[in-house]
Amino acid sequence: MLRLILQRLLALVPLLFIVSVLTFSFTSLLPSDPVDLIIGDNGTQEQYELVRERLGMNQPVVVRYFQWLGKAVQGDLGTSFFNSVSVMGAVMQRLPVTLSLTAMSALIAILIGVAAGVAAALRPQSWVDRFATLGATFGQAVPNFWFGLILVAIFAVNLRWFPATGFTPITQSPWEWLRSVILPSIALGTASSAAIARQVRSAMVGVLQQDYIRAARAQGLSARRVIFKHALTNAMVPVVAVLSFQITVLLGGALIVEQVFAINGLGTLAIGAVRQQDIPMLQGLVLVMVGLVVVVQLATDVVYGLLNPKARPS
Amino acid sequence: MSAGPATATAPRRARRRFGLASLITGVATAVLLALAFFAIFADWVVPYDPLKQNLIQALQGPSAAHWLGTDDLGRDVLSRLIYGCRIAVIAAAEGTSIAILLGVPLGLFIGYRGGWWDWVVMRVVEAVVSIPGIMVAIVIIALLGAGLHRAMIALGILFSTSFLRLARGVVLAEREEVYVRSARVVGASDGRILLRHIFPNIAPPLIVQVTLTVGAVLLAEAGLSFIGLGVQPPQASWGTMLNTAAAFMDLNWFLAIPPGIAIIVTVLSVNLLGDVLRDSIGRGIAVTARPQAPAAQPAAAGAVSVAGGAAPCTHGKDEVLRVEGLHVMVSGRDGAEVPVITDLSLGIARGETLGLVGESGSGKTLTGLAILGLTGATVRTASGSIVLNGRDLRRLPPRQLEKVRGNEVAMVFQDPTTSLNPAFTVGSQIAEVLRTKLGLGAKPAWERAVELIDRVGIPRPAERARAYPHELSGGMAQRIAIARALSCNPSLLIADEPTTALDVTVQQEILDLFRDLQDEFGMAILFVTHDLAVAADICDRISVMYAGEMVEMAGVNALFSDPRHPYTRGLLSAMPHSADRTPPLPTIRGNVPRPGSWPAGCRFSNRCDFYRPGACDRLVPLTGSGRLVRCVRAGEIELRAAS
Repeated sequence: MLRLILQRLLALVPLLFIVSVLTFSFTSLLPSDPVDLIIGDNGTQEQYELVRERLGMNQPVVVRYFQWLGKAVQGDLGTSFFNSVSVMGAVMQRLPVTLSLTAMSALIAILIGVAAGVAAALRPQSWVDRFATLGATFGQAVPNFWFGLILVAIFAVNLRWFPATGFTPITQSPWEWLRSVILPSIALGTASSAAIARQVRSAMVGVLQQDYIRAARAQGLSARRVIFKHALTNAMVPVVAVLSFQITVLLGGALIVEQVFAINGLGTLAIGAVRQQDIPMLQGLVLVMVGLVVVVQLATDVVYGLLNPKARPS
Repeated sequence: MSAGPATATAPRRARRRFGLASLITGVATAVLLALAFFAIFADWVVPYDPLKQNLIQALQGPSAAHWLGTDDLGRDVLSRLIYGCRIAVIAAAEGTSIAILLGVPLGLFIGYRGGWWDWVVMRVVEAVVSIPGIMVAIVIIALLGAGLHRAMIALGILFSTSFLRLARGVVLAEREEVYVRSARVVGASDGRILLRHIFPNIAPPLIVQVTLTVGAVLLAEAGLSFIGLGVQPPQASWGTMLNTAAAFMDLNWFLAIPPGIAIIVTVLSVNLLGDVLRDSIGRGIAVTARPQAPAAQPAAAGAVSVAGGAAPCTHGKDEVLRVEGLHVMVSGRDGAEVPVITDLSLGIARGETLGLVGESGSGKTLTGLAILGLTGATVRTASGSIVLNGRDLRRLPPRQLEKVRGNEVAMVFQDPTTSLNPAFTVGSQIAEVLRTKLGLGAKPAWERAVELIDRVGIPRPAERARAYPHELSGGMAQRIAIARALSCNPSLLIADEPTTALDVTVQQEILDLFRDLQDEFGMAILFVTHDLAVAADICDRISVMYAGEMVEMAGVNALFSDPRHPYTRGLLSAMPHSADRTPPLPTIRGNVPRPGSWPAGCRFSNRCDFYRPGACDRLVPLTGSGRLVRCVRAGEIELRAAS
């Protein structure tokens, strides 16, 4: 298993490198001159040169890239053009917020998706199956932010069960944290649970027809054991790949859903950075997100290896 | 008589399913047509100017003047919604076209060129795909600036990756094909050949991908406009309308409803049409033949052959299994039930091996599963008794039956590589049975599993116990499956073609193993096979199945030396070993008739050389004592064979 992890880690190095090149070159193409943005309209030529020097803009792009990469590897993503805060600091401050939403919505998506998928697969064509299929089709058509608005209207404005806006850090109060993330996570996770349910259902229907399921039943193992141990372990193999993709989708979706609940996470940071053309901030955000995605992919690979012995390096 | 209702219900059900699918397609198409209509004629059908403000009438609910109310600036929601249709259509068309125009040619190119081009572009695609889509769009918008068209360029670039991969995949697959066929010899250039081969192959997946992309673009556009990076106010789009609604949620929540419903209904229609399209492209026009109505009532068949059913061949008190008058029905796609096994009676004594022989489709495997009560949802044991060790399994509640399985009866399946679970080690699969069925602890269960693996003749058992099924050869895996089946020392073992999937040399080893184990454990074996040579090798008695019923049963020597039923004779002469006259290998003409289309009288009559009109068209009972045969002309044929 350790070998698998190392193997996958090595394979990720080129990916991260290419992402960094892409991010850097793309953001370097931004139309506005960052120096102009910083000194404003009234700056003198001297000030201009000074800032240009300070930002290292007078050096060739390749040199700037490697300087940026060298610092980035050490965890220094530069300084925001606008409020002079360190990008790493700003991102790290918001990261727990977005991570809370992503993790909680992933949990909800997996729980609902697997449960609905298995229930539908056990009785194909039954009303459970039809209901789950219908729900899945519907769930994938509902925009997460709209669903968030509706949840706010019902459960926050009307029933007052949950706060309509804001976020409480888990370190401050776990209970309040849960109350603040539950609505956004449901809004975010529903579409993914629909996608997962579809996958689980089709994988499970296929696995339940396998000989080894019938053989396990013939051996007198209980239906519950056969379904949840023998069948689900195998059915999850194709689902895990989908799961990894869905978590990436959830991370992106969190950026939008945060806006519905006025939650100050990476989304707010990203939108602000776009409006202000804050290059270091955008670069840092992309890198950190790719880092998160990479961690998720690594975790999925490990789970995949655990579920599917054929995928392990021998 | 049952032919009437069975055939009458079938088309009605089919029509209903067809009706639902076409209803969905119809509604979805209507929605999209309406969307297109509003997009084109928005200027003529809107009741108000969508940008005209009227602050006095701000944030009103639905009324006669404003059907869907007004927003924060007093603008008519319905009018803005209708203009939103136009934005949605433009967005979907722009985003999807850009994705196709960017992705498909580039994918074709790198697929065709290969080498560095392919490597570099694919690495870039991988990198882009590993960033959350919305973030990619946000970065591109940072570069281009906000606005509908710029946002659509961003989404187009984002979604082009899937078209690129699709086109590249088709080229790579076709390239292989073209080279294999070596069409190059003709002199046409690679490129031209590829293009000609690619277009028919790329169209179906492309259409599917387009439907997926249109829905995704619509949702992404709404999301980007919602966070203020797509369509810019005051222009009306569904996303910007929701942005406004979000700000006034506590004052007028209704503002969120119309644009939300519009998005959902549109995306839902696109997705549903996509599903229908996907299904029709994926499946082609696969129409499965429905089994015809049964020719004879099973109940009548049972009544006639009672005399034969109570036949001998019983080994008295030593009998482990006694099946009596078993009827099994299968329900087809249309819900009508068709008999697959009728009036089957058999018994097996301790230490005895009974062969169940017949062509595929004769119902022999199903007999094994019916004994275990594991026939699946569409198959039902309608009547009869299955007495194992003095208890009728059909009367046992599910829990009790579960206890019996594994403990008193176990089954070995045809393909050992698929009957073992690929996710667990073989040792743990045996140990699991020992733990759950015998209540052994983890360690003793494992040790016993290793012992069993040793017992079925696998060298280095402790090491092999830790192997996964895919790491073992077929013969080895079948030994493991046998070890698991015997782990609780059952009194009956059902072996369903256990040697068919194996090499000939391995077959013999497995048969020897069965014999050895039977000597040691003394279990009864029901050995299902289509191979008479295998049956001759291992069975004490053989029961020949044809079209869901037993046609002959005799001791192995009697059956081989003196077959009474024409079908048995046919099977024997089709055996390669017994054919003295080398060419041609005699076979029985025709095929086993499908359940539901059995001949009314003798089910073999339409393939039988000894068919006599009249006598063979009535139901034929199983007759005889000591050995059984289901043929009205058995006596005559015997005479003829002797002469």
